[in-house]
Amino acid sequence: MTPEEFLAALYTDDDLRARFLDDPRDTALAAGFSAEEAEELAAIDPESLFLAARGFARKRAAKERLRERGAGLLNRVLRRLRR
Amino acid sequence: MRFGIGWRAELGAAILAHLDQIDVVEVLAEQYADATAAEQRALRFLARNVTVVVHGTSLGLASAHRVDGKRLAAVARVVGWIEPECWSEHLAFVRAGGVEIGHLAAPPRNEATLEGLLRNLEEARRVVGSMPLLENIASLIDPPFSRWSEPEWIDQVAHASGGRLLLDLHNLHANATNFGFDPFDYLRRIPRGRIGIIHIAGGKRIEGNRILDDHLHPVPDPVYAMLGAVADEDAIVILERDGRYPRFGELLAELERARESVAAVAA
Repeated sequence: MTPEEFLAALYTDDDLRARFLDDPRDTALAAGFSAEEAEELAAIDPESLFLAARGFARKRAAKERLRERGAGLLNRVLRRLRR
Repeated sequence: MRFGIGWRAELGAAILAHLDQIDVVEVLAEQYADATAAEQRALRFLARNVTVVVHGTSLGLASAHRVDGKRLAAVARVVGWIEPECWSEHLAFVRAGGVEIGHLAAPPRNEATLEGLLRNLEEARRVVGSMPLLENIASLIDPPFSRWSEPEWIDQVAHASGGRLLLDLHNLHANATNFGFDPFDYLRRIPRGRIGIIHIAGGKRIEGNRILDDHLHPVPDPVYAMLGAVADEDAIVILERDGRYPRFGELLAELERARESVAAVAA
C-alpha cells in the first residue's frame, strides 16, 4: 500500500481510522509499512485526523448535492437574461 | 492587476449585472464537464462578455499515481468550450487505491510526489493543450513522509515544472495558523514572479483554534495584509465564495478592499 493509498483509506474508512487511532504503529505495520514508516505515520495528530476525515465526509456529501443542481442553474440564469 | 470572482450559479445574475466592477470570472471545470449544447452556448456567451479562467478541483495532479484520463478529458472539454485565458488546479491528491477522498488532500512533499506531478502535468499539457497554474492547498494534516517544508515544496514545483502558480492566501493563512509558521516568511521564500492568480477567501475557526478553509465567510484581515505583500501588476485576484452568500454588494465591497490593499502598497 502506498502512502497516498493509506492516507485516502484513513480519511474515508471509519473502521480503519478507529483502529489506527487506537494503535497507529500496529495498524501501519499491518498495512505493509516498515517500522520506520509506521513511526512516521504514528506521528499524525489524532485530532487533526478526525477533523480532516469529518471535513472530507462533508465535502463528499456536498458535492453530491451540487451535482444535482449545478449546470442547469447557469443555463436558467442566462436564458432569463437574454429575454 | 485584475480583480474577479468565482462563478457560482447562485451569483450568476448579479455577476452579469455588475460586470463593470468585475474584470475576470473563474468557472469551476467539474460543474460543467457534461454540459449540454445549450449549456456550452451559455458558457461561450459568458466568455464573450468577460474574461474567464477555468479552475479544476478533481484531477489530483500532485500524486505519485497517474492522473485519471477521463477526468482530464472532461477538463479539456470545458477548456475547449470556453477557451479561457488560463486554467488552474491544485497541488493535491484526491483519490488513491480506488478511494475517492471527496476533496483536496495534501500529498507527501517529497521526490516521489514531485516526479508523479511532473508526469501528470505533461499528460495535462498533452490532453488539455496547456499546463495549469498550480495552487497551494489548505490542510488540517501535515502530510507524513514529507522531506520539504511547504515553501520549499512550492519552490521545487515551480522550478521543476517551469509552470506558474496560483497563490491562495486563505489557504496560506489557514496552514500558517494550523502549523505555526510565519506566512510572510513563506511569501518571501516562494518564487513570487511565477504567481499568475491569487485567491482570496474566508473560513472559520474550528476545534483546537484551527482554521477551516470553507469559503463560506468574509475574507479576514490577514488575507488582505498578505495581498498587499504580493501585489503584482500581472496577477489576477479572484474572490472565492461557495455558499452562505451575503448581499452581492458585500462581495463587491470585498473586491474593492482587495483593490485598495494593492493600491496602498503601490502608492
